Amino acid sequence: MGFAFFLGCIMNNRYPGIEKATRVFMDKLGIELKDMEGASCCPAPGVFGSFDRTTWASVAARNITIAEDMGMDVMTECNGCFGSLFETNHMLKEDEEMKEKINQVLAEAGREYKGKVNVRHFAEILYNDVGLDKLAEMVTNPLNLNVAVHYGCHFLKPSEEIDIDNPEKPTILDELVEVTGAKSVPYRDKMMCCGAGGGVRSRDLEVALDFTREKLINMKEAGVDAVINVCPFCHLQFDVGQTEIKDKFGDEFNLPVFHLAQLFGLAMGLSAEELTADMHLTSTDPALKKLDEITGGE
Amino acid sequence: MSMLERLKKIFTGEDEEAKKKVKKAEPETPTVTEEKKVGQPKTPKEEAEKTKTPSTEEEKKEKPKPKRSESMTILERDENLIKPEDIDEDFAQQIKDAGAETLELCFQCGTCTGSCPSGRRTPYRIRQIVRKSLMGLKQEVISSEELWMCTTCYACQERCPRKIKIVDIVKLARNEAAKAGFMGPVHKAVGSFVIKTGHGVPINPETQELRKRVGLGELPPTTHQFPGALEEVQKIMKATGFGELIGYNWETGELE
Repeated sequence: MGFAFFLGCIMNNRYPGIEKATRVFMDKLGIELKDMEGASCCPAPGVFGSFDRTTWASVAARNITIAEDMGMDVMTECNGCFGSLFETNHMLKEDEEMKEKINQVLAEAGREYKGKVNVRHFAEILYNDVGLDKLAEMVTNPLNLNVAVHYGCHFLKPSEEIDIDNPEKPTILDELVEVTGAKSVPYRDKMMCCGAGGGVRSRDLEVALDFTREKLINMKEAGVDAVINVCPFCHLQFDVGQTEIKDKFGDEFNLPVFHLAQLFGLAMGLSAEELTADMHLTSTDPALKKLDEITGGE
Repeated sequence: MSMLERLKKIFTGEDEEAKKKVKKAEPETPTVTEEKKVGQPKTPKEEAEKTKTPSTEEEKKEKPKPKRSESMTILERDENLIKPEDIDEDFAQQIKDAGAETLELCFQCGTCTGSCPSGRRTPYRIRQIVRKSLMGLKQEVISSEELWMCTTCYACQERCPRKIKIVDIVKLARNEAAKAGFMGPVHKAVGSFVIKTGHGVPINPETQELRKRVGLGELPPTTHQFPGALEEVQKIMKATGFGELIGYNWETGELE
């Protein structure tokens, strides 16, 4: 089994520990990840899709053509990248007229979209292709943590096209998280957005942070040790956002944030340094200390 | 706000004078009665008032016309009535043609606004945007700051009983807003990053260090490492006119 590994922007350009954990983890699972050389920004669905649909779909389609040349399905671990690439792929496969229009643009760059590959999300591959049993075998350091699972938006929605899980009451991520030994704790308005998407974070930071703050309050009330996400942009919004919320509103949450790949990294025994979890703006120490107490610092 | 307060007073019977004023305004502003019906249940007092009105009509006419408070914007007809010239018949069609044919299915139930996490904290009212888009109130839709407060979370679209592609409508309306020059400077900057580097969030020296530390290449194998690939992205963005849209000067590499 192998995939064309789509990096995107935030994971590789801000949180390389997520990329590192994924490469180590997938290697152990025997899944080949091949780099999509020369791939660009997906580009962001709510941002570029809002500016100009044709540019958005053309740049996304160019990325897909790289995977087509490799003859492999695309794997991404960012909900935003998944949204852009999946949606473009879906649209161009269904809409012949749009496909022609986009291919005219791509011809300028010597490329052609054919519609030959699928776009997959990392978490969905783990769940459907690898399976929970095999994942459980990889866990060498069971994580005794209570966590708040944050699904984000573009992983499951629009559900009519994506159809991974029920968009209102999904279980896929909770099941994946619990394989590591962590407990997924229910919390109020769990399916709510982190606030970063659609260009809101860049255009109106306080509005974005107000979403994030509400989610953090609800997570704290549930008494969790960490937030788990499957999107580097949500990840950034919770990690950097906590420092911004402290500055703007004065609330302190001190809630560590981990991408699912980092959580699996911890469960496989990778160090916080290898996961670059020591460089998050919101310290991950409270969660790591709890793990140390349990494992005796191993 | 004061409008609501006044209405409240009328219903609780605290302000007889105000009640008369509003009643007087009724014939020319049907929206006021609409508000009353929808806003709160009628008090028995008001029901009684309705039945005995005709005899007091003459007396009312002799009184000087009440001066409207400036904050009573709902009564300022000139500013609030929709006129034929406000309607751009092509706008709804543009949105439908661009892929949101479902726009016309909306029956204004409000499930979208009720589900919207942005609407809980901002003036963003997605039900209104859908209605205004369908009516062709282009200028009103594309010039509103709220249009940019949607995070594209799909909560509205998932729950829409008519399966309207609401997020597509918002994005396509934003496309028109961008064309008309309502794109924010920060958004233009994000656009220019992709033209210049291929990434909306480009690498920085700190992350390069971090990448080295964990044994990854200093630069990811993206447009950052392949200049030819970046040229392809630039050719695409030139072909679609994206540079012009955001005011990017291809010669200087700066935003104008």
